[in-house]
Amino acid sequence: MRPRITYRAGSSLLHRLHPLVKGGWLIWGTLFVFIVPGPLPVLSLLGLLSVLGGHARLPLGKLRGARLFILTALALATLQILFSRDGPVLLQVGSLTITQPGIEAGVYVAGRFIAVILMSFLFVLTTDPNALAYALMQTGLPYRYGFALITALRLVPLFEQEGQTVYQAQLARGVRYDTRSPRRFVTLGRQFFMPMLVSALSKVDSLAVSMEGRCFGKHPARTYLRQVRFTLLDRSALIALLISTALIILRILLL
Amino acid sequence: MSLIELQDLTFCFPGRPRPALCDLTLQIDAGEFVVVTGPSGCGKSTLALAIGGYLFQQYDGESEGNLYVAGLDVRNSPVYDVAEMVGLVQQNPEAQFCTLTVQDEVAFGLENRCLPPDEIRQRIAWVLDAVSARHLQDRALATLSGGEKQKVAIAAALAAEPRVLILDEPTSNLDPTATEEVLRVIAHIRENGVFGPQGDPGREVLTVIVVEHKLDFLRPLRPRQIRMADGCIVGDGPLPGQPPDHILPLPKAHRAGAARESRVRVEGLVAGYNGQPVLDDVNLEINASELVAVMGDNGSGKTTFLQTLLGLLRPSAGRIEVLGRDIRTTPVSQIAQDVGFVFQNPDHQLFAESVWDEAVFAPRNFECLDGEVRTHAEVLLAESGLGERHAEHPYRLSYGEKRRLNLVSILTYRPRLILLDEVLIGQDPANAAWLMGLLREQVAEGAAVVMVNHNPEITLRYADRLVFFAAGQIRVDAPPKAAFQQLAMLGYNAYVCTPADQRKLEVWPV
Repeated sequence: MRPRITYRAGSSLLHRLHPLVKGGWLIWGTLFVFIVPGPLPVLSLLGLLSVLGGHARLPLGKLRGARLFILTALALATLQILFSRDGPVLLQVGSLTITQPGIEAGVYVAGRFIAVILMSFLFVLTTDPNALAYALMQTGLPYRYGFALITALRLVPLFEQEGQTVYQAQLARGVRYDTRSPRRFVTLGRQFFMPMLVSALSKVDSLAVSMEGRCFGKHPARTYLRQVRFTLLDRSALIALLISTALIILRILLL
Repeated sequence: MSLIELQDLTFCFPGRPRPALCDLTLQIDAGEFVVVTGPSGCGKSTLALAIGGYLFQQYDGESEGNLYVAGLDVRNSPVYDVAEMVGLVQQNPEAQFCTLTVQDEVAFGLENRCLPPDEIRQRIAWVLDAVSARHLQDRALATLSGGEKQKVAIAAALAAEPRVLILDEPTSNLDPTATEEVLRVIAHIRENGVFGPQGDPGREVLTVIVVEHKLDFLRPLRPRQIRMADGCIVGDGPLPGQPPDHILPLPKAHRAGAARESRVRVEGLVAGYNGQPVLDDVNLEINASELVAVMGDNGSGKTTFLQTLLGLLRPSAGRIEVLGRDIRTTPVSQIAQDVGFVFQNPDHQLFAESVWDEAVFAPRNFECLDGEVRTHAEVLLAESGLGERHAEHPYRLSYGEKRRLNLVSILTYRPRLILLDEVLIGQDPANAAWLMGLLREQVAEGAAVVMVNHNPEITLRYADRLVFFAAGQIRVDAPPKAAFQQLAMLGYNAYVCTPADQRKLEVWPV
């Protein structure tokens, strides 16, 4: 099975970057690919992202869903190439006309799409979600919301596993999922979600007991043992981010 | 005044005919070590929730009487205030973790109390030492074994330096090795005391209350035993140093004749998840009228093995023949009609809206629900004590009743192979006796039973064979007595029914 798109521990430049600074760069990059007018800056960004991904030793091409994204990008590029007919013609076979602007538009659209996906992959694969939650809380996010994120991160894999068990238990009792009847489909849904709901409620009960029993919510603020530190690297990256953002704003204003 | 004082305490959950706690009067002094015992559903966990203050603040219900901890009126105090004195560790460690790593988990309660980071660091080191888990400090919780998780949960509760530590069936989800580890930690806490990170010997000795079925490891510590039944205290005194003569109040077991028809044949089985093999070169044959107990540490491949027998998990190599059919080429829906599979958690396998519909759920799906099956289902429900409760929703049943219904719902269609994954977890001896008696009847009628379990006495008394898994391979496959000898030689002592226990069991008719 292909690896899932989830955090992979490491010590690369991206891994070491403060989660919020990295998040800032992710937003900047997304805006950048939609603001720049031609394919060249997008391709340059793609090159940079590939280098960063390689440096972080991430198996980007092997990830679950990667093939689907590549095929989607190719489809987007093909549509642009086939339907852009203005400008110098590079190739004409029958009714098929391929123009230079068509190729540029194809590369531009597909490049934007791949760049946004790649940046998101890099962010998810190199950011410890726990560190992200603690960084948000230490930056001012009320800790109740921060722990809601941590709880979700903890419970989602458990629910996934339980869903699999319920499905297997149903197969073992002769439940058949190959139905086309909408009524039967509703019944199947109810029979699947009822055990899941009961299990979720019981987990929430246990968790509530555990959290309150450890004084969660007693005080408006709390201390943190885990400090997400702001290093020299983070300061430099933040300054670079601010300068780049200023340049983008300047460009928008000048155009 | 005692540290914990209950005065005529009664608590009734809404819609329940009987109170969960009934007129309880009890005093527990500082430094006492108390074990609470009793059958499933007798109110042990409710008592634990009451002393921790949760019952009155987080659950709907009517209460009467008084409950004080160190003079604090628990019924009318927020959980936070009670939590400063009482730490509660629940049954399932997985469900009570609030963070993702060991260090964060132990720090969680201390951070909520706004302690400075340096003090938190000091307490983490002390408390992880106290539960022999210092080496786990930097690990992610998801990577820990069951026993390690429970140790971390105990450490997290102890870190707040409570005056009372309550452990609610802390070993019920654990294999014997992990159970021994956790009970050793409890013994260590009792014997050496917990004097805080500063090691202040003048501190009050921690009061420990353990809700537990497995008492043998705790006997040398001479705890006080509080026995409960139907929400009432029915006994209060020192736990006897020796177990009673008849450890298992089990009915007569039926041994079957020597039918040798093959039910399962496994050759060179390799199977696993995400490309990681869990089972490696497993070879086994199981015949009709055989009850095979499968034992082994958590993660050794027992559940994976059961899943491959029904085709729920496809093997990556090897051959499995179940009831003469090759599992690789037969759809699960076809095999399932002859194979009954009861999973570990009763709540994961209740799909219908009444006890009766649940009992006939599978026969209805297999389109074999005729008069004979209906009669069989009625008989099974009556024998399991659910005969009067056909119309009730299965989720309204107690844990033990749900377990019985799980078993009934697969026996109604008379499967020839029965697969059971830790069905005895959380069962008191009476429930376990009923389940095992029913299984022996199936074996006597020609069914083969493969049962994952952690109880050596049950295995010795009821199983024809013990198959022991370690690291995905079968290490021992022999009749129970011979298997115990082999396991003892391999160092798996926690799984061994001692010769003394064996002699006591031999008194019982087999």
